[in-house]
Order: sequence, then structure tokens, then C-alpha cells
Amino acid sequence: MIVKPTTSWALLHAFAIVFILINLFTGLRIATLSRPWLLELSALLPQGALHWLHIAGACGLSATAMAYTIYRFNQRPQRTTKTKETTATTEKTETLSDKYHRGLTWLAYPLVILSLLTGWLQFIDSALSVVDIHFYAALGFLLYLLLHAGGYFIQYGWPALKRAFIPKVTGSKPSWIIVLPAIAGLLLWYGIGYQPSNDLPVKRIPLTTLMAIDGITDEPEWNDAQEITILTRGGANFLNGETPVSIKVLENGAEAFFNISWQDTSKSLEHLPLVKTKQGWQVKQDGFNQFDETAYYEDKLAIMLADQCDSGGGGTAHLGPKPLANQPANFHGKGYHYSDDGKIRDVWHWKAVRTNNMHLADDNFFGSPVRSRAGDRRYSAGYIADGKESGAYVMNWQWYKPEVIVPKRLPKHDELIAPYQMDHQAEHLQWVISWFDYTPYLAENDHYPIGTVMPSVMYRSNRFEGDRAHVRAHGQWKDGTWTLELARPLKTQSQHDVILQTGTCLWVSAFDHSQVAHTRHQQAIRLLFEGEHD
Amino acid sequence: MIKRTIGIVGLLIAVSLIALLNPIPQEQPSPSRWLKTNAQGQVMSPWSGPWTCVYDTKTQLLWEVKTDNESIHDGYWTYSWYDGTQGVENQGDCYFEKNRCDARDLITRINSEKTCGLDNWRLPSSKELLSLVSRDTKPGEPLIAKDFFPQTKRGDYWTKDSQQRLTGTFTYLKEGAMAIDFVNGHLTKLPYRNASFVRLVNTGYVEP
Repeated sequence: MIVKPTTSWALLHAFAIVFILINLFTGLRIATLSRPWLLELSALLPQGALHWLHIAGACGLSATAMAYTIYRFNQRPQRTTKTKETTATTEKTETLSDKYHRGLTWLAYPLVILSLLTGWLQFIDSALSVVDIHFYAALGFLLYLLLHAGGYFIQYGWPALKRAFIPKVTGSKPSWIIVLPAIAGLLLWYGIGYQPSNDLPVKRIPLTTLMAIDGITDEPEWNDAQEITILTRGGANFLNGETPVSIKVLENGAEAFFNISWQDTSKSLEHLPLVKTKQGWQVKQDGFNQFDETAYYEDKLAIMLADQCDSGGGGTAHLGPKPLANQPANFHGKGYHYSDDGKIRDVWHWKAVRTNNMHLADDNFFGSPVRSRAGDRRYSAGYIADGKESGAYVMNWQWYKPEVIVPKRLPKHDELIAPYQMDHQAEHLQWVISWFDYTPYLAENDHYPIGTVMPSVMYRSNRFEGDRAHVRAHGQWKDGTWTLELARPLKTQSQHDVILQTGTCLWVSAFDHSQVAHTRHQQAIRLLFEGEHD
Repeated sequence: MIKRTIGIVGLLIAVSLIALLNPIPQEQPSPSRWLKTNAQGQVMSPWSGPWTCVYDTKTQLLWEVKTDNESIHDGYWTYSWYDGTQGVENQGDCYFEKNRCDARDLITRINSEKTCGLDNWRLPSSKELLSLVSRDTKPGEPLIAKDFFPQTKRGDYWTKDSQQRLTGTFTYLKEGAMAIDFVNGHLTKLPYRNASFVRLVNTGYVEP
């Protein structure tokens, strides 16, 4: 039987519509990060910092679902009585349309339950693979809205709106239940504001203990360190887009040491290699022109640190092609990282080719969005590198073009690139070339046959120096797992670095030969320095 | 009912069309104070490269652009201040001279090359060089529009303003020339023998 729209029902229905629409639109925008085909709908989706809105919508929908359950439970005795009285007439008067809508309503219940359950499981970073279920439940909702709302509209026209929002049972007063969504939603939201992050105890080790930053975690101190494992989701190329990341942290009062490992079936070092073609040298790429390479790129890991623990990349993820009205759109349509609270988030970006051979991670930060520059095609909003005194990696092209490039330099001896002409995945290949083993490009020296492959990452000097070089790091890949060790002073005195102390929150993102399509997780990992309580 | 069904289908088609007709916007270069030119002096798009000179539409000056290709324009090369009559010869370092380098060496070579179609290149005045100083930079960058002036180093760049009385520890060297430090954007007096960077300027370029 179709429920008669009492005042309470009408209000609950309105709540549900609002929260479902908020969650559908913000959720589809969030889904564009890992399902780029959804960008076809980009013009219809909201932009900006949407994670908090999606979570707020989820709080509201959860509270509405609870209130509706209680509402139906309270209605039950009346309905049972009425049912006895009116069974005969109801059976006679229930039309095909009523049956259709009743069937659809029963379809909505599992969709609500499934969406909320899988959404909250993702929010708490459950190890269950539920992203796809959550997404398909959202698509189910879209279909449901079409069939349900569309069905009523076809049947009744505009009066259907009145039927949905205005109570039909005259004289009905709103029950106390309708305030439940508001209260429960606010409580839930308030609770999430103080969300329990994943606490990670950081054991103190003696200052005299040598911790080699080499990606080999054979120091006995690591055996005593507490480990936390987080399932990160939504990255390109990983199996189901997911990889679990395990983290241990130690400190010695001056420096903190990080031991991070994650699953990655392929060791990817072939970073935008150059290949000689009939037309000239080309950069092998599939998306690099839109700054979203997902085929010929090195593996990476990014660690973000902040003195607060907000969701949505510490509140820095601003989604969509143009989240900043007065700044350029991004070419890939996914969004920008920047902070809008005036504070910075420290970002350590370890790159398996460009920085691993320097034994460093690239020390960067997310800050307020900078002004765009007329000569830069790529605008990166608040993602900025710390300053450096010297040291650099250079790409071996004079100017990037998707069709043909001219290398900056050619090898002094052919033997230097001979190993790259065989097995590209060979273990010993580093895919980094030395500036001084190569000479400036001259067309008359370019005798290389078609098909010749040449690495494009070139070290001009050994490593960064200065603010950008605060994070020592080195990773090793073995049997489908990257193991990365990092070390950084607890306090660097840099205005672009976060102090490492109790309460510092961190997030990790893994990149499987992708430029920007990284995995992510919701709950921050909060460091608890045991040494501070000594 | 048929009309309403058509309405729903129409709504779906309209929504689809809105999505399809509004793809991700592809940014185009925005107008700029600076114009890139190629080695022949022809203006290029702001997002194309490599380029050889930059024309400043504000001051009507054409500037040499530095490279990392070990040519005469390489940004790593340094020069002592020397104009043929005053200064100190060959106290800088570059690859294109047999001996060491001074500012006159670069001017001679660049005029002979007719960089950007011109042959009257010279050292800039302090005022001219100061017009390149920009505070709108990212951390650690030299104070210049790096998107148009790559390979600019965090160091001193010579001006043409010579016969400057030296003070402090350089007093005994008597005279030097003005330079601009692109770390803090300040003018500084340096002895002629100092190995500093050079960016040449030209006033003979006519904006197309």
C-alpha cells in the first residue's frame, strides 16, 4: 500500500530528496578522480571542496533513514488495524501504478542501505573493497530517481510535486520524529568533526642509533615499532585501484624515521622515455599532454602532513576543472590541491626515478593558490615546491610537444643507451642519465636508428640542496612491494614544513606509474610521540 | 500523459546535450606583458618554445633569454665586467671562449650571431635591469618572471653602469660596476673582476 503523505512523511521525504541529491552530485564529482569517463558529465557537477559536503550529506541521509525507520515502526499499529478493516477494499483499489511505485520504493530501501553502508565503510577506511558497490548504488539511485520521480510526473504532471511535498492527511501534525534527522545529522557531523584519527604511536630510539635510509628495513628498531595499515583507494593502474599502505614511524628527539611499504605488482621506472621515430624523437606518453599520464610514468608515493586532520586531503582537495573562478582550468578536469585556511600542508613526494637516485623525496607543500603565469601552460594552484639552493633533475627535451621533440643532449657514447634497447624492465636499468655523460644536441650527431629508446630524466647535479632537500628517502622494490624509508628533522625552521610532533596528522597516496591519479584514504593518521611523555 | 513522457525524454536529452556541449574547458594563453620571439625575432605564442628573446611591451626593450645548451646564451656562464677600455678582462667562465670570459666577449658573439635579428646588443642600465625584478615568484626562485626568463640564476647580473666607487672590503679596488642581485632584487656595486651573470638588452626591436 502507498503511504499517505502525513506532515512527518512529507518532511522526511523532503529531507531524503535534498540529501540524496547532495550526495549524488558531490559523489559523482568525487568519482571523476578514478573514473575519468564521468568527466563527460562535468558541466552538470559541482566543483570545489566537496568532500565535507558529501560527508555532511551522508550524515543527513543516515539520520533521515533512521528517522524514517522509526516513523514506519510507529505507523505500524495503525496500519495493522486499518489493514484488517480495509484489506478487501485495498486489494480492489490498488492500481497497477500503485504496484509500480510500491515496487520501486522497495528498490530504494536496499539502495539507501547499500549506499550508506559502503560509504561509511570507505569513510572509516575499511579494508573491504566497496568502492564499486558504492558507485553502482549511486547509479542505481539515478535510475530510481528517473523511474520514481519521472513516473509520478508522467502520471500526474506538476501536481505530483504537490503530492510529494504537501501532506495529504489533513490535520496531521508533524511528529517529534521529524526533528530527529536534524538532531542526529548534526550530532553525527559534530562527531565526525572530532573524528578519531588512526593513532600511530611513535617510539623513541636513542640518538646514537644509526638508521640507514636505504629502503632496507633491517634495523632491529623497526621490529619494535608499531605498524598501521591503511587501504588506499582510487588510484590508476593498481588492482581495483587499491593498495594497502603500511606505516611505521620512529624518532630520536631530533629526526623522525618513516618505514612505508605498499603493494605494487609492477616496478615502474620507464618515465616518459624518448623514442626515435621517422618524424624525429617523441616522448612516449598517454595523457602527459593533459598532465595526467597513466602509462609511461615512474611509481611514486606522496605523504601529506598537517597540524589538523580534516577529510578531503586535509581540506586541500578542490575538485573539478575550474574550482578557482579567477584562475585557469586544469587540463585533466580533476581538480587542484590548495589550502584556503592560510595554513600550509607539508607534502613529501618520493619519485622512483627523479628523486630516488638522489636519496631524497621532493619536499613540497600545499599552500594558498598562487597567481597563474602567462608563460606556464600548467597551473598547479597551491601545489608548490619548497625553495632550493641548487640541484635539479632536467627532462631531456628542449621544449615539450606531443608530436616531436628535440632532445637537450645526446649520449657521448652509444653504449650509454645500449642497455635500454633490450629489456625495458631489466632490473639494472635506472632510467636516469647523467648530464655530463651527454653532450648538447646537434642534428649532425643524431645518427640513432628509428626505434632507439633513450631515458629522459637527466641529473644536472647530484641532488637538491636547501629547503627542498629536507627529506632523505630511498625506496626498494621487491616481489611486488615497494619499501620506502624516509627521514626528516622534527623541526626544520622552514615556513613550508610542518613540525613533526604529537598531533601531527599524515595521509599517504600511492601512484602506480601515474602522474596525478593517486590512491587516497579518508582518516588521517595521527602521530603520538611516546618520547614526549617521558 | 504522452506530452509528459515526451517532456521527461526531452529533459534527459537536454541534460545530455548540456553535458556534451560543455566539455572540460581547454585553457588558452592569456595576454601578457612579455612576448616570446624566436632566433629571427618573430613573435611566438606564450606556450610555445624554445624561444630566444623576450620583448617587454611595457618598456619596449628586447631581452636575451638564457638557456642550458652550452651555447653563448647558456645561463651558467659568468663574465667579468669589461667594455674594451675599462674593467677587467677574462675573469668569468664560459665554454665558448678559448680563454676565460668577460662581458665584451658575449656582446661581440651575440652581435655577430645577430640574435633575434639584431646586432646592437649591450649591457642594460640599472634602471632597465631593475624593470625585470618581480616579487611575484615561488619559493626559492630568482626574482624574475621565470616563465619567460628560464635559466635565470639566484645571483648578480651586470649592468652597464660603471665607474662606481667601491666601499668596504672592495675599497682598495677603487672602481667597479653596478649589478642587480636577483635573490633580493637589490642594486649592488661589484668589482669589475667579479664573475657575474649577464643578460643583454636591445632597444632596436620594433614590435610587430
